[in-house]
Amino acid sequence: MFKLKVADAKLLKDMATAISILIDEATFKIDPENLKLRAMDPSRVAMVDFEWPKTVFEEYTCTEPTKMCINISELLKLLRRAGKDEVVELSLDEKTGRLQIRITGKYTRNFTMPTLESSEEEVPTPKITFNVRAKATTEGLRQAIEDAQLVSDHVRIEADAEKLVFNAAGDLMSAIIELQKGSDTLLDLEAKEPSKATFGLSYLSEIIKAASATSDIATLEFSTDMPIKLDFQQTKEGKLTFYLAPRIETE
Amino acid sequence: MRVIADLHIHSRYSRATSQKICVKEIARFARIKGLNLVGTGDFTHPRWLEELQETLAQESDTGLYRTAKKPESSVRFMITTEVSTIFTFENEVKKIHHVVLTPSIETAVQINNRLEKYGDLAVDGRPTLNMDAPHLVEEVMEGASENMVFPAHAWTPWFSIFGAFSGFNNVEDCYQDMEKHIHALETGLSSDPPMNWRLSKLDKYALVSNSDSHSAWPWRIGREANVFELKRLSYGEIVDAIRSKDKERFKFTIETDPAYGKYHWTGHRNCNVALSPQEAAKLGNICPVCRRKLTRGVEQRVEELADRPAGFKPENAIGFMRLLPLSEIITTVLGTSSPYAQKVWSVYNKLVERFGDEYAVLIDATKDALNKVVDEKIAEAIVRVREGKVKVIPGYDGVYGRLAIFEENVCENPFPRRVQQLNLTDFTEKNQ
Repeated sequence: MFKLKVADAKLLKDMATAISILIDEATFKIDPENLKLRAMDPSRVAMVDFEWPKTVFEEYTCTEPTKMCINISELLKLLRRAGKDEVVELSLDEKTGRLQIRITGKYTRNFTMPTLESSEEEVPTPKITFNVRAKATTEGLRQAIEDAQLVSDHVRIEADAEKLVFNAAGDLMSAIIELQKGSDTLLDLEAKEPSKATFGLSYLSEIIKAASATSDIATLEFSTDMPIKLDFQQTKEGKLTFYLAPRIETE
Repeated sequence: MRVIADLHIHSRYSRATSQKICVKEIARFARIKGLNLVGTGDFTHPRWLEELQETLAQESDTGLYRTAKKPESSVRFMITTEVSTIFTFENEVKKIHHVVLTPSIETAVQINNRLEKYGDLAVDGRPTLNMDAPHLVEEVMEGASENMVFPAHAWTPWFSIFGAFSGFNNVEDCYQDMEKHIHALETGLSSDPPMNWRLSKLDKYALVSNSDSHSAWPWRIGREANVFELKRLSYGEIVDAIRSKDKERFKFTIETDPAYGKYHWTGHRNCNVALSPQEAAKLGNICPVCRRKLTRGVEQRVEELADRPAGFKPENAIGFMRLLPLSEIITTVLGTSSPYAQKVWSVYNKLVERFGDEYAVLIDATKDALNKVVDEKIAEAIVRVREGKVKVIPGYDGVYGRLAIFEENVCENPFPRRVQQLNLTDFTEKNQ
């Protein structure tokens, strides 16, 4: 049994949006301390690792660890009906197995939706030694990705001690976007060795676009031809991290 | 007598076909190719049928036709068509194509009279009929017991009996009680007999191969065909050899490398993504570029339905020979952009003039004899194709496969950018 109350519906809506870009059916783990989710998209190219401690919530009750699987797109449809400062309560009706969503603002709305069979799959965290760690504004990253998308469907991210470079080349056009260490966009950069890896822009752009609604600062970690880790610093406590597998260009 | 037959082509009245196709052109290129029997295609289309009535002359007692103006031609015509049926099965919409053979224009008219109530036959040479597959077979077979129906290009993702998008898993599900009239399956360009042999449930059907050509050019017509050894060439003999899967008469099929077909591998044409079944499965059949569902290729679909390992050959299987169109071979060796090029035609014509027809060049001509007519490299390429020593970079999502006869071709003609999207399990497994 659980009951979770979020004071600002937007917070929940933005988080659900960020999760929904990778998965349709989301299995949340709820225990007395945290709400968690870790899942890969159907192609296993990307992964989301999300965690909200109970302190994020205005009210958090969970008597025993439980799993709940829901269609996240359907939940989003309901959450989009909530205004910015409206309160959302989520609870499970144990008799019917349905999730109850109560939105309270100028008036009160009660929705219910079915829960689905929870995934039993344990998603392991990729074990990678990262050689580059870059801290950047999400807005800056978003702009860089949008620039790259003008010319290609993939981007090579390169870094050395001084700069982070987004290098995109399409059939006709190419783009190089440089972020210098210490600039307004690239707040910090550590590179144990120069590294580069290529990633699909459709994934990157959707991840950064959705996650930037929840965060102003992101930390990128990567190594040559290894997955990238994008950790979006949350305004409240909690974690929103994505992993994205690289693409290998064969030519 | 040896009969090489391509029973499934189209007229200019079908969508996306060459506007130059006419009986005279079909007969001309069929002869050059070495076909001595070719389907008319599109007998369901009223204007094409009129044209057939005007330009073909019926042979006595064979159920076949010759061109009226050139009766001495070695090419005979069989009255054939392809239709598309659209229907619902277990709440899913099914769009299945079928080839229909019939022994005369009169029986074709009878079939048309029965089918016209299910759709407008004049709209397309390959008409779309609002009827299910069993009813199609019933209507066709009630017209004349000599008629024959078989599923067209059985594995292509769209419009085929085993297609990944709207197909079935069994012939019986598609044709229901009318399955008793189904004796053959057309393998299509993207699959070959060894792929079909992997399904034990297909053992009872004869595997036929046709070009499904949309033009009369020799790199399209007859690129796949059926080879018979018959005492007498007639409609009845051909149909009976197929129905009875008689290895004495139905000798083998001519197959392009299935990788040459437009739907062999899984991929996305617009995203330049081509993936083997294993790679596609690893990505959950999701395109790594646009993140939509991939167009599942024939190889992957066969893999899903197969109950035998690759390489299995059933006892009663009819053999096959793997060839590629001569024009394509010459185009690849010369490095020209298309088989229409004058340079290609010049070499092609020299070879056909010397050996009689294209199949004679591809199948029978010795390397020494070829060397006397054309450049050594072209001769070598023809022999390599015959011996199966060429590489074909697989076709995918509507893109034809590409030939790489010599190693240098691979470098000169790189495949549309190969995307190798790794997934996260590559890193979790590797590191655990």
